[in-house]
Amino acid sequence: MSRGRTRVGRGIMLAALILFATAPLLLLLVTSLARGWFHPQVVPAAVDVRAWGELFTDAARRGALVNSLVLGVATACIATLLALPLGRAAALGTKGVRRIVALLAFGAVAMPPVALGIGLQLTVLTMGLGGSLRGVLFAHLVPAVGYLTLVFLGVFTQWDSHLEEAAATLGATGRERWTLVLLPLLRRPIADALALGFLVSWAQVALTLLVGGGAVRTLPLDVLAMLQSGQDQRAAAGALALTIPALVVLGAARVAARNTTAVVA
Amino acid sequence: MSLEVRGLAMQFGDARVGAPGMPHTMASTKALRAPGAATRADVPADAPSGLRDITFSVNGADCLAVLGVSGSGKSSLLRTMAGLQPRAAGLIRVCGRDVTALPPEQRSVVYLHQEPVLFPHRSVIDNVAFPLQVRGIAPREAGRRATEWLARLQVDELASRMPQQLSGGQRHRVALARALCAEPAVLLLDEPLASLDPAVRRDVGDALQVARRASGAAMVLVTHDLDDALAIATHIMTLGHGLQTALDTPDALLAAPPSLSVARLLGIYAELAGELIETAAGTTFRWAGGTVPSAETTASRARGAAVACVRAHDVHLQRCDASGILIDDPRAPRLTVVGRRDGVSEAWITLRDAAGANIGVRTGSGTDVRIGDGVQVTLRHARIFSPD
Repeated sequence: MSRGRTRVGRGIMLAALILFATAPLLLLLVTSLARGWFHPQVVPAAVDVRAWGELFTDAARRGALVNSLVLGVATACIATLLALPLGRAAALGTKGVRRIVALLAFGAVAMPPVALGIGLQLTVLTMGLGGSLRGVLFAHLVPAVGYLTLVFLGVFTQWDSHLEEAAATLGATGRERWTLVLLPLLRRPIADALALGFLVSWAQVALTLLVGGGAVRTLPLDVLAMLQSGQDQRAAAGALALTIPALVVLGAARVAARNTTAVVA
Repeated sequence: MSLEVRGLAMQFGDARVGAPGMPHTMASTKALRAPGAATRADVPADAPSGLRDITFSVNGADCLAVLGVSGSGKSSLLRTMAGLQPRAAGLIRVCGRDVTALPPEQRSVVYLHQEPVLFPHRSVIDNVAFPLQVRGIAPREAGRRATEWLARLQVDELASRMPQQLSGGQRHRVALARALCAEPAVLLLDEPLASLDPAVRRDVGDALQVARRASGAAMVLVTHDLDDALAIATHIMTLGHGLQTALDTPDALLAAPPSLSVARLLGIYAELAGELIETAAGTTFRWAGGTVPSAETTASRARGAAVACVRAHDVHLQRCDASGILIDDPRAPRLTVVGRRDGVSEAWITLRDAAGANIGVRTGSGTDVRIGDGVQVTLRHARIFSPD
């Protein structure tokens, strides 16, 4: 095949990829601005930003947005705090311990959300947290800790333990080894873990629905409800709003990691 | 600055059991003295296999080289002294203070890994100032002292670089500067010259000499290379079969290795099989190439099968003349040169005796013998041991 044809083929592939990635988002954007746009109309009857405004002005919608943000941030922080030492202990432990931890973490990630949700619903109800934000947070933590434990298990499996040994014999206490050596070197994996933890919670529907019992409203649940009730414009605005924090969090994680020396990730 | 180790025992990865009842040589010197009787009794009967009965002391500015084959527990010994690995028994004192139960950061013992471990997120100057930072020394003063050590090791121009921007030799020097900046009482070096190319090896070797003189720390260096040990150490200890097998100054050890295994470990002797016999002149070593009178041997036993260890400069090869008459000693057996391999300063000559057996000897590379020559071999000095 000639070089020219290869280049054309590559261009077509790239264009198709961009189209697949952006077309749904463009359609969502148009829908979120279009009022009364029904089949077979080619263009909407009217265009406005009402649905976007309601995201922030409507109290119920704002509450759902705040709940989503609170759950996302709390899940990211708590899951990272739990998964980091867990992944480290597993990586530095015996092969048996490593396998068990990896299996449990993978189980929490791989289990179908509905099955996990039903199991967690019973647990949360027993704990007296059914229908509460704390109960939903607990439920979100299960897959998030699973994901992040796998992340940190990978990180610490490749970790150079000589760094800590060197620091120790140079006089650094356990706390100083964490603050002066480990944490600075782990900035990138920690940033990635926070982003991943946030996104696991942010996109969660099944667990929120089953454990929250409809009493805890989050943005994804609101979007689903609007879609089911035919409020396409609002649903589209909500769906797009769901992608914004995800992009912001990923971007922030990249920026935070940019100046970090990548020794482990 | 001093390090004292008594009856230390530890387990290590691919452990070999210390042979029970095997004595360990303890040739004491003034600077390096076994500080007490052997402490085998301190080791529980069910102690894990590995090293045991390790006893020595190193004074400030002295350097003890620990020689042993791969897997003999050299690195484990260092790691145990640094507090990075548990011990099964024994005592470790630094400057007279018992540090056996202390964590690594409280021992004043710095351990340098074989591959220099620099913190990749800190610049060279920040790496070197690290031990001062954790001691709470003001940043300006820490920076001044760190710069001073970098200058002593001739890498001060690298202060602002990151570790990833350094060459292998520079990394070694920076790691050494950082270790010395910690002002340790004891500096432990794990094969610092291994895996370095010759130029860098010399460079790092020089830096270690500077470090030894400038710091006053007691140094322990593990290596499997005698040249490395001779370049830096003031004393040598050998390990074998899970035990300490020799401890002496380099000169004393090379002149009189205490056992065949130590001689083999030093790797500078040719081994000649033969026997010790009684003659009118006294005990004589007889081998395929002739006899070595008692005046030229140091025998550890009386009679029977024996092995002579001879250094290259003590082996003299004399070619037969054209008529086949041996020049030096007409009674000595004639051997035939069947192989020759030349090194920088030595030649490895393979000889064949009348019975067809091959014998390998080392000699100076200037030896004027060729394959096919008939030769007479004279041994000037030989250490005689029982065969294994």
